Amino acid sequence: MFSSLYPFYMVFRVKMFLNIRNGLSVATNSSKVIRQLCTKAAAFENVTNNKQSNESSKNNVVDYRHIYPEFLPDPKPEFRNVLREKLERSDMIARRTQIQIPEFYVGSILAVTSSDKHTPGKNNRFVGICIDREGCGLRATFILRNVIEQQGVEVKFELYDPTLHKIEVLRLEKRLDDKLFYLRDALPQYSTFDPNMEPELLPGGSTVPVNNLKVKLKPKPWLERWERQNLQGVEDLGLPEKFYIRAKELEKPWEKYDLMKDYMKTIPEEEQTEIFSEVQSHLHKLEVTRKQMKRKRVFVKPSKLA
Amino acid sequence: MSIIISTIQKCCVKSLEEKLLALSLTSTTQIREKHKLNPPPRLRNPTWFTKQNRVVKEEFLTHENKEFLREIVQDKVVESESKLPVVSPKEWNDKLQRTGVIARKVGIYPMWLKDGTRIQTTLLQVLDNHVIRYYTPEEYDPPRKQVGGIKNKKGCLLLGAESADPSEFTKEYCGLFRESGVIPKRVLSRFFVSPDAVLPLGTQVNVLHFQVGNVVDVRGKTVDRGFQGVMKRHGFKGMPASHGVTKTHRKGGCIGGGGEKGRVWPGTKMPGHMGNRHRIQKGLKILRINTKYNIMWVSGQAIAGETNSIVTIYDTKLPLRKPTNPVPFPTYIGEIDSTIPEDIYDEQVHMFNDPTISYDEK
Repeated sequence: MFSSLYPFYMVFRVKMFLNIRNGLSVATNSSKVIRQLCTKAAAFENVTNNKQSNESSKNNVVDYRHIYPEFLPDPKPEFRNVLREKLERSDMIARRTQIQIPEFYVGSILAVTSSDKHTPGKNNRFVGICIDREGCGLRATFILRNVIEQQGVEVKFELYDPTLHKIEVLRLEKRLDDKLFYLRDALPQYSTFDPNMEPELLPGGSTVPVNNLKVKLKPKPWLERWERQNLQGVEDLGLPEKFYIRAKELEKPWEKYDLMKDYMKTIPEEEQTEIFSEVQSHLHKLEVTRKQMKRKRVFVKPSKLA
Repeated sequence: MSIIISTIQKCCVKSLEEKLLALSLTSTTQIREKHKLNPPPRLRNPTWFTKQNRVVKEEFLTHENKEFLREIVQDKVVESESKLPVVSPKEWNDKLQRTGVIARKVGIYPMWLKDGTRIQTTLLQVLDNHVIRYYTPEEYDPPRKQVGGIKNKKGCLLLGAESADPSEFTKEYCGLFRESGVIPKRVLSRFFVSPDAVLPLGTQVNVLHFQVGNVVDVRGKTVDRGFQGVMKRHGFKGMPASHGVTKTHRKGGCIGGGGEKGRVWPGTKMPGHMGNRHRIQKGLKILRINTKYNIMWVSGQAIAGETNSIVTIYDTKLPLRKPTNPVPFPTYIGEIDSTIPEDIYDEQVHMFNDPTISYDEK
């Protein structure tokens, strides 16, 4: 009984893999078996699903998982619990009614206003480049970096911390890498940003631009062995040949073809649609109210003093 | 008159004779001390420790028959839940001990207090607790007897949680639930209660048994890590990685002295099995209660056990942190309906709906 069902099960699994990797680069030289299964899966999909209705929602989910990555739970099976995740999401939305958490990525420049007991005005504004974004649910965090008075400063903020008053995106862009920790070893000019910077507006409906800037690192000693990390946003490191040879030895080029590893690290697309369809209406409502508030603000009659 | 005296004398003589006989018997006949040769076990399992799960064999049932069986089970569940026993509220005082509940550790996430400090909280989901059995103080025979006996002996209340299909259990296990009329449960746990705090069989205990702001103890089973070395199990330093050290990088080193005390002392920390033991986390404050999903948020993140493991919660035994205001006694009576708010927060805790925290300038 089970043996006859097995091929169908495989097809289903592979289909799921492919769905997850819609936005990512798909391995080209994967084995023949998988390719055959892919065609089967595609055929299977054609028969069962009515594609058109699904596509719009799929696209939405693809967008949402980049815009709101913290709504996806930790994929580690030992930490998962459906009820906890649901409650956590409802708490996140409750917090979002009080603060607008905008879309931003690693490489964007943000300004965060937070209340601080120890500053004289009890409020603190920090401008910096987002060098890392991690965590899921209420424990999601991001790190801002700036150079203030020739001193590199990094602040780790929690996205849902109720002491944050405002998160502004001054420049919305992406960089070539997922994490910009190498800015710590780069020349200070690359992580210096004017605290009084004006927000740069993108035309509506445009995609998020990618900044192709290549950063120049200071000479060694470094905090990490950057030559081993396959960084895209870094100029030639200018190291002796032996460092590159060693980096080549330690490379794991097969990992990007490891479907199982990727699968364990991500939430399946079916679950993503479930999660975001639950959250979507709330987020949409919040956006609409925010727009209304904005319009109201625009039509306020200017006073004489202004 | 004389007849009466003579009869009394006869009686006395008879009883004396009997006593003498008994004495002579004890002194002369040999009694083998059988109980010493094969003594009863010191530790006996409680009466509800029976084999729980039946060996499930494949029964070739049709789809309709399976459906039918499922319907019957569901009917039974409805039937058992419809018979609600009457619980009368009683006056509470701080000498009384209430029952605890069985819960599931659902996860951990941060919350913030009104002054902006971040705290870790553990979510505990109170399961469908029902009272299965009660043992009076005289009836209850503890597996481990205390020397000198116990003053103020408590009764023992057996609670069950997680209703399940009875066909997965043995007959003997299902028999435990006959008296209370509750559908068989997967988890059983006993709580000691004062005789006044007894709940009638079949009573349900929900999350409102506890109140926000009060302090509880949580008992769970730690993560089973298997046989572990001394570095992981006891946090030893190990040995240096280099400088001529061979084969002893993660070993403990010396375990005992020489001379007169030349032996390994009892209690020496050595490798062995780590985890899978019951541990109690005491003095955890209840910060928030969700009445819809029966969940309570408790301070701290170090409750024993992995996510989705079973724990038991009860009023704290810490003498200075016991509740001072009256608590629902013997338990919360009544249904959870629309009059009760879905989320109840402690006054210290910042609600996620609340406006952003800002500090006043002094």
